[in-house]
Amino acid sequence: MSKGILTDVTKCIGCLKCVSACKEVNHLEMDVPRIWQKNDGLSAENWTSVIQRTGNRYVRKQCRHCIEPACASVCLVGALHKTSIGAVVYDSNKCLGCRYCMMACPFGIPRYDWDKTVPHVEKCILCYDRIKDGEQPACTKACPTGATIFGDRSTLLAVAHKRIKDNPGKYINKVWGEHEIGGTSVMYLSDIDLGFLQYQTNMGTKPLPADTAPAMKSVPFAFVGMGGVMLGLNWIIRRRMELSKEQSEEKSKKKESADE
Amino acid sequence: MNRVHNAKLILWIITGLAAAVALNRYIFGLGVTTNLNDSTPWGFWIGFDVMGGVALAAGGFVITSIFYIMKREEFHSLVKPAVLTAFLGYLAVIFGLLVDLGLPWNIWHMIIYWNPHSPLFEVGWCVMLYTAVLILEFSPVPLEKFSRYAKIRSFLMKFRFVFVLLGIMLSTLHQSSLGTLFLIMPFKLYPLWYSNILPVQFFISAVSIGLMMVAFESLVSHWLYRRKPETDLVAKLCRAVVWVLALYFLVKMIDIIAEGKFGLIFNGTWQSNLFIFEVLISTIIPSAIFSAPKLCKNVKAQWIGSFMVIAGMVLNRLDVGGLVMLGATGDSYTPAWTEIIISLGIVSIAALVFLFVIENFHIWDIQPEDPEANPHALPTFDYSSRAWLGNPNVSSITKHSLAFIISFAAGMALMPGNHLYSKGIDSIKVSRATGVDTLYINGNRDDQYVKFPHQAHIEKLGKDSCNYCHHLNLPDEKLSMCWECHSSMYAKVNFFRHDWHASAKGANLRCNDCHKPGEARSVKSAKSCTSCHPTYNFADTTNTHLKHYILSYTDAMHNLCVSCHLIELKKQLVKDKPNLAQCSTCHKAGLHQIITEDINWKIKLPHFNNVILPNAKQVEMEMK
Repeated sequence: MSKGILTDVTKCIGCLKCVSACKEVNHLEMDVPRIWQKNDGLSAENWTSVIQRTGNRYVRKQCRHCIEPACASVCLVGALHKTSIGAVVYDSNKCLGCRYCMMACPFGIPRYDWDKTVPHVEKCILCYDRIKDGEQPACTKACPTGATIFGDRSTLLAVAHKRIKDNPGKYINKVWGEHEIGGTSVMYLSDIDLGFLQYQTNMGTKPLPADTAPAMKSVPFAFVGMGGVMLGLNWIIRRRMELSKEQSEEKSKKKESADE
Repeated sequence: MNRVHNAKLILWIITGLAAAVALNRYIFGLGVTTNLNDSTPWGFWIGFDVMGGVALAAGGFVITSIFYIMKREEFHSLVKPAVLTAFLGYLAVIFGLLVDLGLPWNIWHMIIYWNPHSPLFEVGWCVMLYTAVLILEFSPVPLEKFSRYAKIRSFLMKFRFVFVLLGIMLSTLHQSSLGTLFLIMPFKLYPLWYSNILPVQFFISAVSIGLMMVAFESLVSHWLYRRKPETDLVAKLCRAVVWVLALYFLVKMIDIIAEGKFGLIFNGTWQSNLFIFEVLISTIIPSAIFSAPKLCKNVKAQWIGSFMVIAGMVLNRLDVGGLVMLGATGDSYTPAWTEIIISLGIVSIAALVFLFVIENFHIWDIQPEDPEANPHALPTFDYSSRAWLGNPNVSSITKHSLAFIISFAAGMALMPGNHLYSKGIDSIKVSRATGVDTLYINGNRDDQYVKFPHQAHIEKLGKDSCNYCHHLNLPDEKLSMCWECHSSMYAKVNFFRHDWHASAKGANLRCNDCHKPGEARSVKSAKSCTSCHPTYNFADTTNTHLKHYILSYTDAMHNLCVSCHLIELKKQLVKDKPNLAQCSTCHKAGLHQIITEDINWKIKLPHFNNVILPNAKQVEMEMK
């Protein structure tokens, strides 16, 4: 069963309890603001952050755990992968540090241990060890207002749509993460535009790995095709050269015979 | 042979600097030695060393396909240098990766852990296999020197055609797959560069850069060794590149027009200007130069044209590899000097190996003269002036090692000493609380008020409790307000005003009034604040006395309120009472709630009419 998180922006008070709970459970250290950090609060030691928006709104930023994650599809050693329970988890033993996942993520989530000699990719793993045992993630457990809740993705979607229906005018009629780039496990319900969470406001419903799929599928054909073209070309050119050689030989023979 | 000597000297200097930087990079990590950041995880190294490097090494497969497949025998003299350049180029790419990868010792993981969905997986395997093929392709050259390996050599020579064919097939794949890498970033890559046929574009441009790289490499090496340039051969390459560039331009433009992005080229943003510049120097100008048959045979035009194609195509790789993503990520990135020097250093090492191989193995049909063969040929003693002109015994090896050592030391000295850069905390000014009986404490939190029942607190805590919050006993019973001293939201602030205490119009004190006479006038030798202001009630006197620093606003508020509330909560476990230790009890979500709860608030406080609130109109409507 695919699990997920639903965050209701209108209920969030920005108390950062989710952040501190996350730090405690995942054994993340004190965070020093460093020059390579983005100004959205996420860092190698902060897997979730709360962004303050005008109009007294607090938006929790974390990994969206896409249904078809771009990061997992591009990882050449499969260090990142989507589990059946919904979490996109990271295996630091496999990683070789190419940072392609960071480039590919449309939400700009994965962070890097830039200051370490043995750096790893750092991102929310939906408290995979906890949810495997039937517990809920630390952040949703810590939330005092119920702004961020954990459950089956389908149930959460139903809850979200019910809230929109029951409170007409309170929310923007959209569940962020329901369909975008194939859907995400972490979803948002909001009365402000959440376009700032992603690189482009309208990202469409097509999962990102589908963009590379056609090019990757044509790889064997390109390989064999190029070989075939080259062999064919070589054969034609050789044949031509042989023919011209024969012709010139014949010509010279004819000349010789004519001379004789 | 001075040219070769001097070129090698420069290359060794760059290598020395790069070695120092690389050492620092492995000791201290990527963060402090580069400008890479969370928004730009791929910087100059991937753009130039890998994307550009692979493209620059395309000469190998292009020239072998011309020579072995298309049977153009006249290019024979270019094949060996081109294969050598390709081989060294791929080694350089791998070296570049070893510096750039976070965990370079895990690079072999791609052999055992597979993810065939990843374009990078395919690129990695292709580069690995192609490097192996290039070793097989090139090894007959060094093996030539050793007669005992003659059998192996003849065996390798027999299968040369297979290696060449494999090399071309593998090159086709990974040259194009470098473009596939970026297909997954449609939102980050600027639309002028993003295209569904990016792999095709990359392959065609790789062919053009390969042709020009062979030409340029021939020009440079012949210039260095003062040989007669291979003008006719290079001219043929230049003529061929016009067709490739035309095809590249056509494919690119058709794609842009078909996707309806044509308007973006001339919309005046920096991306559009960059695009025009890139296309001009990589495609339009060189093909214009080389379409004139006279200019094709002109050595100067060959230099300029081939360099333009190479620079333009590398710029294209840099653009796609991260430069034009800066618009989407919003963060800035300029490559640090360390990044550039490492890239140059890798190129330098490759160039040095190239020169070494050219001097010691049979690459050219005519061997270049050994610069070390006759050092005494130079005049060392001028008899007319009776002066030594230089020591002939200082060989080039000594000079080059000295250059390396000195530049390595210089590189170590240039590395930044402070490895803990910090952005610091944003200074956010705190705003004052408002209200009379009930205070509306705003802080900086954009109208998210916390209701503080002032009167209720006085009643509960007793009349002596004022100094819990109002630490300073100001004259005329003036209020000492939280925000005046705790003026920054998150940062510690120095609150002691030394100038005021020392000035005649202020406290008018002399130095010895506070500082102990005879001691250095520092914070340590000063009196405690409370010795003059006995009524001041600091939460932590030792700290303020020594450092004059006070807690940030959030820390102060939370220390004061939360610590007290927690105690109160333990004392009286009364049901149906609000949970005062819970953040959400005080920090309510939304101003709207507070205003509707306490609608008379605005009437009570007439001065509040001046304050424009986001929903002031709503309040007025409700009041009516």
